[in-house]
Amino acid sequence: MLEVALRHRFEASAWRAARRDDGFALDLAFASPEAGVTALFGPSGCGKSTVLSAVAGLLRPQQGRVVLGGEVLLDTARGVMVAPEKRRCATVFQDARLFPHLSVATNLRYGLRRAPRDATGPGFEEVVGLLGIDHLLHRRPAGLSGGERQRVALGRALLARPRLLLMDEPLASLDAGRRAEVLPFLTRLRHAARLPILYVTHALDEVDALADRLVLLQAGRVLAEGSVETLSLRTDLPLAARRDAGAVLACTVLGHDPARGLTRLGFAGGELTLPLRDEPVGSDARLRIRARDVAVATERPRGLSTQNLLPAQVTGIGDAPSPHETFVRLAIGPATLLARLTRDSVARLGLVPGQAVWAVIKAVTFDRSGSPS
Amino acid sequence: MSLGLSPEEWTAVRLSLEVATRSVAVSLVPAVAMAWVLARTRVPGRTLLDALVHLPLVVPPVVVGWALLMLFGIRGPIGAPLHDWFGIRLVFTTNGAALATAVMSFPLIVRAVRLGLEHVDTGLEAAARTLGAGPLDRFVTVTLPLMSPGILAGAVTAFAAGLGEFGAVITFASNIPGETQTLPLAIYSATQTPGGEAMAARLAAISFALAVAGLLLAELLARRMGRWLGRG
Amino acid sequence: MAAGPEPARPPAPDRGGGRSIHRRPLLAAAALALPGVAQAQAPLTVFAAASLQDALRDLGKQWESRGNPAPRFSFAASSALARQIEQGAPADLFLSADEAWMDYLQNRNLVVNATRVSPIGNALVLVAPKDSAASVTLGRGADLAALLGPNGRIATGDPAHVPVGRYAQAALEWLGQWQALAPRLARADNARAALLLVERGEAPLGIVYATDAAISPGVRAVATFPAESHPPITYPVAVTRRAEGNAAARDFLAFVTGPEAAETWRRFGFSLAR
Repeated sequence: MLEVALRHRFEASAWRAARRDDGFALDLAFASPEAGVTALFGPSGCGKSTVLSAVAGLLRPQQGRVVLGGEVLLDTARGVMVAPEKRRCATVFQDARLFPHLSVATNLRYGLRRAPRDATGPGFEEVVGLLGIDHLLHRRPAGLSGGERQRVALGRALLARPRLLLMDEPLASLDAGRRAEVLPFLTRLRHAARLPILYVTHALDEVDALADRLVLLQAGRVLAEGSVETLSLRTDLPLAARRDAGAVLACTVLGHDPARGLTRLGFAGGELTLPLRDEPVGSDARLRIRARDVAVATERPRGLSTQNLLPAQVTGIGDAPSPHETFVRLAIGPATLLARLTRDSVARLGLVPGQAVWAVIKAVTFDRSGSPS
Repeated sequence: MSLGLSPEEWTAVRLSLEVATRSVAVSLVPAVAMAWVLARTRVPGRTLLDALVHLPLVVPPVVVGWALLMLFGIRGPIGAPLHDWFGIRLVFTTNGAALATAVMSFPLIVRAVRLGLEHVDTGLEAAARTLGAGPLDRFVTVTLPLMSPGILAGAVTAFAAGLGEFGAVITFASNIPGETQTLPLAIYSATQTPGGEAMAARLAAISFALAVAGLLLAELLARRMGRWLGRG
Repeated sequence: MAAGPEPARPPAPDRGGGRSIHRRPLLAAAALALPGVAQAQAPLTVFAAASLQDALRDLGKQWESRGNPAPRFSFAASSALARQIEQGAPADLFLSADEAWMDYLQNRNLVVNATRVSPIGNALVLVAPKDSAASVTLGRGADLAALLGPNGRIATGDPAHVPVGRYAQAALEWLGQWQALAPRLARADNARAALLLVERGEAPLGIVYATDAAISPGVRAVATFPAESHPPITYPVAVTRRAEGNAAARDFLAFVTGPEAAETWRRFGFSLAR
């Protein structure tokens, strides 16, 4: 269990003045459970990396308290500050920070050599296999691509047998291709590591893919905390203003139909059909259904191209993402979906809470969060 | 292969190499420590310390030699205990010549090492911390290897400068053939003696060759070091 | 001014006073009365051995107080000065610490032989640090090595090129101590450096000029080397070839080697032969 409470004021400076940033104050607190990935999510400059530095011990906030697994790592009120090297919070940085004068293998072993004897964690071969870096072991960091470097950095952090894994926007400096290459390794790592992970990012697709809990930050303050699924339904948060705003659903792969090129996924409110995927049957998945991709029909439509047509009930209308649009909450069994409609459509269809309607889902974004194949 | 040099002349060559090497060897650790204090700490009086370190560069070498005589001579505040407790004499000895040379070239090493240190990415040191490395550990495993090009550059510069150091050596250690008569002193003596021009020219040529050899060696080492640090 | 053939010349332009016509003869008469002033009054450049420094500066002030421009001195080792003069340095006078370096210049025709004189003299002394108890009589067979102890060095100029060193070598040879002491010399670049080594206790003994020992509070003279143990220590003086036509140079040389300067030389510990 990780508890964090910080207050820190950044001084205004010439650098900040050039960015027209008067400096801001961090004033936040959150907690994350024993295991799983907690994502710190927010726009650039909202203070998320500062939080990570404070947890790692690389920054001493003006006021703060950090407790990990019952051990107090930082308590400014009592003058307690455990040095980073004693905290066992391995960090993966945005720029990998591999030691250029050491080989990949020596880099990997750097943390391992300094881990306490009783620390548990994966073995060298296991991590190398997990991250697919076997062929790089004798090379130097200088010759590696960005994606390879980040994978080595992941391995190095894992092998340090930390109690908490910190990741500071590890994919932010990679191009789309490299990100796509590395993200699956992160997913694998999440399952294999069984470690609490604090993951800082401003990319929502990473959150969808990896996070269990989400801490939403803005201008140094926590806006909301909760599971990814729960927060995705909150229309009062800045999340809702995004183009990809919508409900995130936990699903299970039910079956494949290769002949028709389709895969069936089950969720709390029923089933969805997607183009064929190769995840094994029974594995967990997560789907994001963009509110823009959900249409509402007051009568069951016929002859529709979309497969996914589900009976639903309107449970709420309101919270306008823009002047002429509104969110409509739809209950499908115990699950909820969001639909983004124009006010005009709402008026035209005469939608009211409690009304039985049909939810028409045009597209689904599949974010793997399942166990590895 | 005598290259036409007399035994006395070879002694001067050998002595120069010895003095220059000893002076670098004795300066390296203090120079690294000083570079660290100047670049990484915020102790009060840093600027004054920096100025003191650079003093040998701006003050006439004879003055440095004279100051060393006052401090390390047999009646000086440092020289007296050295002699009385340890039996160490510095004036008239090769060690004294090495000390004078070391003091004169100290600012050169400190500058180069400091530059090398300032180029070390502190992010790498932070990464080492998060992986469990304490201060000495990360200094030895991360910082020192990464600043080694600076240390090498400093050592080479100091060696080359040390080969040519004259004023401080002759004032502090005096001109004792076989003990302190390095190449510059031998060349000087030769130029002072009527008819000594040929000897001076021979010794000067040797001096030059040594300096060039030193620079070539340094270049070779620098390239090897660059590859080792992963810079192509 | 050449007198023109026409008798009726207009008067010269006024230069601050209508009596300019009568001034010129008065000025000319005055000029003739003061030796050396007839030359364009550039100060003299005097190259001299370092050991003559204090005495010469004093004499320079006396020269200046007689209405001459203050001479410019350059004090260094005689060998360096001689080579500089050889390379064309603008010296008007040269005072060397030994005859050899004056001969060097004379052989190259760089000094005016007729002006060369060597009246100034010095003595050679054995010195020790002020608080040393050393004592010895400097006769043949005197055991200086014993005074030095097992590790001590004797500081003096480098016999290879410094005049005081040459005199020291000659004296030690006369004493029969040269073989023993040659490897134990601390060869300084000049007499002052040798003095410093003795003052600081680095060398238990030193051989320097009597004049150096006299002005140094940190050393005491143990004994004077007998005059017959070394060639006479004389300081030849000459006008350089370059200043051959410079009357002021000759006048200064005459002053420095003449009876008026004798008292000053003696005051600094030199002897002045006549």
